[in-house]
Amino acid sequence: MLQIVLSGLAIGAVYGLVGMALAISFYVTRVINFAQGQLMMVAIMIVAAITAAGYSAWLGVIAGLICACLVAILSYVIAVRPILAFDRFSFGWLVSTLGFAVVVENIAAYIWGPTSRAFPPILHHISIHIGSAVLTGQQLLAIAVAVLLTVAFELVRKHTLFGKLGMAIASDPEMASAIGANTAVVAIAAFAVSGLFAGIAGVLIGPSTFANPYLGNTFGTYGFIAMMIGGGTEKPVAAMLGGLLLGVLAEGANALIDSQASDWFPFLVLVVVLIFTPKGLFSSGNPLLRLRPVPMAQR
Amino acid sequence: MEGGRTKSFRADALPAAPVACWKRSAGYVAVAAYLVLTFFVAQSSLGVQSLVLVAAVFGILAISLDLVAGMLGLYSLGQAGFFAIGAYLTAIAAADYEVNPFYLLPVVLVVAALAGILIGATSLRVSGLYFAITTFVFTLVLTVLATDLKITRGTQGLLGPTFPDFPESLEFLGTPVAWFVMIALLLALLLASGIRSSPLYPVLLSIRDAEPFAQAAGVRTSAIKIGVFALSAAMAGVAGWLFAFFGVVSPGQFDWAVSLNILVMILVGGINTTIGPVIGAVFVTMFPAVVNINPWLQEVLYGALSILAITVFPEGVVGLAKRLTLKQSKESPQTAAHSKPHGPIGGEAVPFSKKPASVVSTGEVSVDAGTGAADKEVIVECRGIVFGYGQGPKVLRNVDLAVKRGHIHGLIGPNGSGKSTLANIIAGRLRPHAGTTAVKGIVADGLSPSGRARLGLRRTFQAAQLVRELTTSQNVLVGLYTRVPGLIRRAAFWSLLPSGRRDGAWLQAQASAALQAAGAGGWIDRQVRDVPHGVEQLTQLASVCVAEPEIIILDEPATGLSAPEVEHLARILSGLKARGVTMIIIEHQTRFLFPLCDQITVLNAGEVILTSTADKVRADPLVRQVYLGE
Repeated sequence: MLQIVLSGLAIGAVYGLVGMALAISFYVTRVINFAQGQLMMVAIMIVAAITAAGYSAWLGVIAGLICACLVAILSYVIAVRPILAFDRFSFGWLVSTLGFAVVVENIAAYIWGPTSRAFPPILHHISIHIGSAVLTGQQLLAIAVAVLLTVAFELVRKHTLFGKLGMAIASDPEMASAIGANTAVVAIAAFAVSGLFAGIAGVLIGPSTFANPYLGNTFGTYGFIAMMIGGGTEKPVAAMLGGLLLGVLAEGANALIDSQASDWFPFLVLVVVLIFTPKGLFSSGNPLLRLRPVPMAQR
Repeated sequence: MEGGRTKSFRADALPAAPVACWKRSAGYVAVAAYLVLTFFVAQSSLGVQSLVLVAAVFGILAISLDLVAGMLGLYSLGQAGFFAIGAYLTAIAAADYEVNPFYLLPVVLVVAALAGILIGATSLRVSGLYFAITTFVFTLVLTVLATDLKITRGTQGLLGPTFPDFPESLEFLGTPVAWFVMIALLLALLLASGIRSSPLYPVLLSIRDAEPFAQAAGVRTSAIKIGVFALSAAMAGVAGWLFAFFGVVSPGQFDWAVSLNILVMILVGGINTTIGPVIGAVFVTMFPAVVNINPWLQEVLYGALSILAITVFPEGVVGLAKRLTLKQSKESPQTAAHSKPHGPIGGEAVPFSKKPASVVSTGEVSVDAGTGAADKEVIVECRGIVFGYGQGPKVLRNVDLAVKRGHIHGLIGPNGSGKSTLANIIAGRLRPHAGTTAVKGIVADGLSPSGRARLGLRRTFQAAQLVRELTTSQNVLVGLYTRVPGLIRRAAFWSLLPSGRRDGAWLQAQASAALQAAGAGGWIDRQVRDVPHGVEQLTQLASVCVAEPEIIILDEPATGLSAPEVEHLARILSGLKARGVTMIIIEHQTRFLFPLCDQITVLNAGEVILTSTADKVRADPLVRQVYLGE
């Protein structure tokens, strides 16, 4: 049981990080970045490529995270900003961010080939006994990093001017820019942070998935589920809670129902959660319900 | 097609007749050409055929998405899910139970439509992104089911049925499945263009862009949204039925990326156009066959092109073509029309009283104004209304209001005193925390805004709620929605039905006359996005008057009007009163309002200070203090 919970938390931390990455960019721009999973893949591929070239794995990790940030910023500049500039409430980003995902994924497949490549183990080869459970160092690292990043993110959001600016832009971009906030800079920063989070998720899970250009979609989807069941559209932190819950439930389903249950069980959870609390489990209010501003005349 | 319709919306139906006639024969020619094309497709090689037919099936899917996304602004990512329902139902029933696939067509229609109603009813209470996400999850779940269930044979999928051959006498026609697919696409096109040329089209757009306006015109917006979504789901289901005949049905063909690709199709081709979705479908499906390079580079190019298309040409191919042709033709004829409406609008208008054939008069057997007993009847009554927004202080505290039939009842008070809130409560947009509202003696507390509109209560909005891309007269048509029985039933075949053509001409005449009477006659063919604020107000007024309501609530009708326009407005309102229409008017311009009113209620900080005649209100010391500013 303890084993299930702990390994669930470890994989859940990765889902949660991707979910938070989705939620952070959504928080500021009201755009769901369909390329989020691909950002994670970019980090994984870069780490694998640099290690394969004979450099230190840690150098690879740093380069991978930087690349994930850069590609995230690129996704904003190419696929999001032009759409929102044309019409802030348009849904064109559904198409453009997916297009961006397709481009990134297939460039990776073209450069590195469609097969899986080796990924440095980092802390994967260390095993740690906790009570009756056995975890790898990588799994413990995932849980620790997730907790650390979540706390840090929340501190920045609530206690720095930059975080408050993000909150202001999230609730009313026009008002925020009227009082002098540079919405573009904050949005770029949010996308960079989302790329960083996705990249970190990639580095954490890389040793067990290996490096494959097509793993972006799977993790993007799980990250999306984490965000939705947690309620991360309102509070990015809720996405992490959703991810941890999702991880434990999926591990539990694998152990208790059958070994393939984690293929469909998360979707069942998602549907049930959406039916009963469309706002998500850990959220206070759902901004999706008030996406279009209410004209004054209706007041 | 766009141009043809605006032309036929002119006031007098007679000169429009040849245009309509010409348009219809052009339509017949196009259909004939399409059938000839189908004949050649049915004779062609298998390779060409599969390319064209897959494009056609996706054309149907794209049209089905455009019905909801283009006309109602509901970005469904569930089309791949409904597509899967159709394909899997057909393939499983044919493979496991050996059912004749033709019997399955109605089953597929019904099942997909029911799924659409279910998804729609659960997610359409709120539009926007929440709808997109719910439908997205629907597609995700269906793909997972198709992958993991035994009956769908997992990722391998299963072989669909083969299409029965033509009888010998028809064999010269070629491949039967080609005929079925192409004719299904033709029907989908005709359905979409039928709806676009029917009076339902402005109603749908008003639900998309100005839902409060649609509801205030008596449109049951939620029911229509769910209905159109069910229709769209059924079309996607039929596309799946057809697709099952093409060979293997497997989960990868229906995942969420397919839903998004269908969205790419309509955005690339041109959203809310008839032919655009098909152009997009042809582009997306034929792209891999035409661009024959390294598969990864081909995907990269496809992704890049779709980003480029959506960022550089957000209106799609058809939108771009339309803009190019407009630029050429706009130069000369528009300038003449442009110079005319700039004068004072009131000057050239025909007052209601001089034009009895127009709006308010037809057959309305209303109570004569000012005649004894009827004058005493209370037509709108509010008792003990309490209301507050969210956690804030109460905006209305125990407000009573009684409006008598045939009266003009003014509602004045400082900003924030609760006038518009009270109007919204009477119209049904807001639910009071306590108190009851009765309209025409009927307790209306449970009635939606559209229900109250159908009782004969109409309202205008402080900030005009109109569809900016439609002309003023098309906006007025929305106001006539409740007066055309069977509008929705007939919408798909509107221009083919004699009754549709007759009603269409009547509707256009009514709308034009109402605009003339309101004093916006010079702006009939102009899009609302091009007209000044005052004309928007007059268009609102026309769309309300055209329905011949018994009660009208006017929320600051004189805002944005010039002095002569205000005078004209006063004449219109007096004319309406003479016909027995009851009016509740919120207004700050007391010089305009007071002479019109039988009774005036003064609100201050959510409480009624006084209800009395204009003279007494003007004389009251408290009113002078809180409102008139002394």
